[in-house]
Amino acid sequence: MPEPVLAAVVPEVIRDNLPFLAAGFAMTLRLAAVGIVGGSLVGLLLGLLRHAEIPVLSRLAALYIEIVRGTPLLVVLFVCYFAIPALAGYRTTAVAAASLGFVLFIAAYLAEDVRSGLRSVPSGLVRAGLATGLTRWQAFRLIVLPQALRRIIPPVFSQYVRLLKFTSVASVIGVRELTGSALLVNAREFQPVAIIATAAVTYLVVCSGLSLVGRLLDARLSIRT
Amino acid sequence: MSYQFDWSQVWQHRDLILDGLLVTIALSVAALVPTLIVGMLIGTLGASTSRAGRVAAGLYVETMRNVPLLIHMYVWYMALAFLRLPAFLCAVLGLTLYSSAYVAELVRAGIAAVPRGQARAAAASGLRPWQVQVLVVYPQALRIVAPSLASLASQLVKDSSLASVIAVAELSYQAGAIEGQTFRTFEVYITIAVLYIALVLLISFAIDHVPGLRARRPIARIADA
Repeated sequence: MPEPVLAAVVPEVIRDNLPFLAAGFAMTLRLAAVGIVGGSLVGLLLGLLRHAEIPVLSRLAALYIEIVRGTPLLVVLFVCYFAIPALAGYRTTAVAAASLGFVLFIAAYLAEDVRSGLRSVPSGLVRAGLATGLTRWQAFRLIVLPQALRRIIPPVFSQYVRLLKFTSVASVIGVRELTGSALLVNAREFQPVAIIATAAVTYLVVCSGLSLVGRLLDARLSIRT
Repeated sequence: MSYQFDWSQVWQHRDLILDGLLVTIALSVAALVPTLIVGMLIGTLGASTSRAGRVAAGLYVETMRNVPLLIHMYVWYMALAFLRLPAFLCAVLGLTLYSSAYVAELVRAGIAAVPRGQARAAAASGLRPWQVQVLVVYPQALRIVAPSLASLASQLVKDSSLASVIAVAELSYQAGAIEGQTFRTFEVYITIAVLYIALVLLISFAIDHVPGLRARRPIARIADA
């Protein structure tokens, strides 16, 4: 964008503090990326456990999912930042605690999506696979899992977008992500309208972009029945 | 583990915890009522035959739900501080604008799931347009989305914890205050986590056991035959 246009659109207080805010924005993206990757792995594992009906493990996974889904993210972050380190006797940083909290939190929601995806695959497909000579594991890996994952793209991406928004809560435990940096800049400059509006628009653009990616992926990969 | 448990400190502050719990419930109810009303209106607009109406509803939904709830709260509390709204009202406004976008999407999907023939048959039998909506479309649409609305209500209860950042003295806020005095980190946060889980379980219990709230299959598609 040419300089004059930038000057007309972006308030001065934002341009003055741009490197600081950009660093915060980078931290937001980093937290979201860690949460999405880690949460997806843990969520897939929990969802598989729930689906597999292994006596004790499946019940434990169900209990974990229920507990986390009943707890606000803010409390999950407090537990990861204060309670678990106090109990287990280790030191942590706000960024590490927030990352852990996001992974543990979003995994519980993703696990339920994975489970409903696995359940939605018609059992006839598995039987057909077994009839062609696949082993149970092959039938699961080659038939059930790919179809299940392709079916759950919309709910999974809405969880990803939710996580991206929820990274703002990390500011409460002192992480300098976009919201945290915006609050610090505001404490110095005291121009809340421009600063909060800039943060809001930034989140709006990034979250809309991520949900657009989800819709495009879904349009390409989903299985319409 | 070298951590010494001491639950007596939590018990000593039970009055603060109870206060916080009551504020959490009050805030949730105060936000849930306008959330449902606004969500119904926007959702109906989104399902209407008017193209402009659908575009407007879509814009509202996309804008409101792609901005983090925390930012919604800061908008009312900080950016619009010159309005001098009480913190509780800021939290209600933030929760309402944010959650109503989700309700609107649900209501829109619910209305779309009611067979078209139902509304046509009702109109043909001489009902006025508003009677068609209120007597024929809404009862069926709401039954279809009732389970999702219920989980949205428990989502709202958990989301209300973010009001603590704008100094509404609800459960999470009181937890922080007690923790600051007693340093019984683990005990305090586990206690409020249990209370949130209890609230969420209470909501899902109510949905399962109060007649009329439970989801039922939409009425058979006679009118589409």
